[in-house]
Amino acid sequence: MTELRYPAQLGEFLDSHRYVADEDLLTSLFLLLKLHKPLLLEGPPGVGKTEAALVLSQWLNTPLIRLQCYEGLDVNAAVYEWNYQKQLLGIRLQETSSRPVDEQEQKIFSEEYLLKRPLLQAISQVEGSPVLLIDELDRSDEEFEAFLLELLSAFQITIPELGTYRAVHKPYVILTSNRTRELSDALKRRCLYHWIGYPGLEKEMAIVRKRLPGIEEELLRSVVEKVQFFREQKLVKTPGISETIDWAQSLQVLGHRELNRKAIDQTLGAILKSTEDIELIRKHSW
Amino acid sequence: MGRVQAFQAGSLSESIVGFAQFAREHGLNIGIQETQDALVAAGLGILPERQPFRHMLRSLFCTSPEEILVFDQLFSLYWNTNPIDLEQRKGEVSIQGSVNKKTNASLVMLGKGNARLMAEEEEAKHTSGANEAERLKKTDLSLLTAIEAEQLEEIARKLCRQMAVRMRRRMKSDTKAGRLFLRKTIHSSISTGGEPFRLYYRARKPRKQRLIVFLDVSGSMDKYSLFLLRFICALRDHFRQLEAFVFSTSLKRITRGLQAHQLETVLRNIEGHTDHWSSGTRIGECLQQFNDVFGKRMLNGSPTVLILSDGLDTGDVALLGSALQRIHSRARKTIWLNPLKGMKDYQPLARGMQAALPSVDDFRSAHNLESLLELENLLMHA
Repeated sequence: MTELRYPAQLGEFLDSHRYVADEDLLTSLFLLLKLHKPLLLEGPPGVGKTEAALVLSQWLNTPLIRLQCYEGLDVNAAVYEWNYQKQLLGIRLQETSSRPVDEQEQKIFSEEYLLKRPLLQAISQVEGSPVLLIDELDRSDEEFEAFLLELLSAFQITIPELGTYRAVHKPYVILTSNRTRELSDALKRRCLYHWIGYPGLEKEMAIVRKRLPGIEEELLRSVVEKVQFFREQKLVKTPGISETIDWAQSLQVLGHRELNRKAIDQTLGAILKSTEDIELIRKHSW
Repeated sequence: MGRVQAFQAGSLSESIVGFAQFAREHGLNIGIQETQDALVAAGLGILPERQPFRHMLRSLFCTSPEEILVFDQLFSLYWNTNPIDLEQRKGEVSIQGSVNKKTNASLVMLGKGNARLMAEEEEAKHTSGANEAERLKKTDLSLLTAIEAEQLEEIARKLCRQMAVRMRRRMKSDTKAGRLFLRKTIHSSISTGGEPFRLYYRARKPRKQRLIVFLDVSGSMDKYSLFLLRFICALRDHFRQLEAFVFSTSLKRITRGLQAHQLETVLRNIEGHTDHWSSGTRIGECLQQFNDVFGKRMLNGSPTVLILSDGLDTGDVALLGSALQRIHSRARKTIWLNPLKGMKDYQPLARGMQAALPSVDDFRSAHNLESLLELENLLMHA
């Protein structure tokens, strides 16, 4: 990795790793690296938010630690948990020993018996700063968000039985959100913010071309044009870029060279994921 | 407001600070930290290229797509203007009007100030009850005199607050047993040689339910709106994720307004937001509008939907049916509160009501305070 001076440097690398990024996204990533502030990526599903974190970790050549959020996510699943089975076993094995209780307890609650979950993993990395991806944060509860707030400012975690872990290398944090709910202002203020929307025609074509190098230009254009048209409709589930790629790939695999009626009929399920949408589009177009 | 432009500042740092102030004045939430970060970032050497600079400030200063729109305008206003066209631009900036501009909220809008007919007063007095408060609780909201309305408001405020507290508390003690808390159990079993004599349990965290409320503020609902609004405010204390909308001919989101916790402010806000506080109702179109604009975002994770309306629809009834059905299919529960249902011999014959009923799980009355408070149980288990 050469020293990073300009956002454009990142662009070249991302490009070679099949990720097409706009200049403004590059700037945000650049700032993330330089200011070491968390970056909040918002946008509709399937526009490459998660992918951005992945490529960034490749650029930095560090591990990507990922925490997938969901409703009800708690500290046990996100930070750490004791390995209870092992602990019970440990207690049994120590039964015959004559060591004092204090010492036994210390052993049961040592790092050996600790299961590190993503957040703790990210903090206790020894070699270099990892990339920590906190995915779909909007799905988690507000309590978890508050906890995260604390973590993101101090980068330390306290385990009552063990003590405090402080990050030797502060992780680069990327948070993503689909905006199913508004995140708290406090959290947002700690982050850089970037909105990724659906790409324009040319950009989307470039993205698909990167992913499917063998695709014929004519097919590519008609597929992407069609998808862009779909996005303008009032669909229950608007297709993302990943769906465009899936669709193009399906067409390719089935050996279609142009987007005719038969081809669409066979593959519409790859791009539209709801019966209402499929009906609507069928009615609309032909 | 003495607006400084980029060209007036002496140095880049100065103009960045100036811009931060300028943006703050126009509603962007920019603190010292953000400004500092901007200065640090500016020193990184990606200047003086213009686009990266703009992107940099944007990702530091914005927190939502809406803010990005404002930011882009502010940016070009601040960094692009030169002295010559500055004069013309003056006064053009009116981004993000503040909410508190309207000050004369009047309760007349809510039918409180109207002179009552003698007959109505008569009827109100016929309702029997143990004491004045009890009687008021049972009186149809539309039949209250102005003085009674004030008294009832006082009672309602108290009862609603109690309700909110009760709902919170019951959520906690409802979950007594829960799952085995292994961590604590093991901790305590060490002293007994690993034999878990004493089991510890952890109560399950109550799932926080999300609630979406639609309040009809059309003419026919006039007399009920104030109390229903107070009711919504009380609910807000319990449901931390509450989204509230008012509708008549069009839909307005009032969630932000409710955060003020003060009915007066809310009233003022709604008045400012709604042009049709007392005119025809197009329920179907409003719900459709909700589906289009907010549906994807808010109907996630099956929320409970509460509709407060008399169902007297003047719009497209078929649309009401389909729009409500769409909401229903993604909601945990759809509850319709209809003040008219409290009337004797009421039948849901209104066309709107007819179309809506198939998609409604619970159809209830909301004509007096008591019937509103009964909802507590329903929502507790929602």
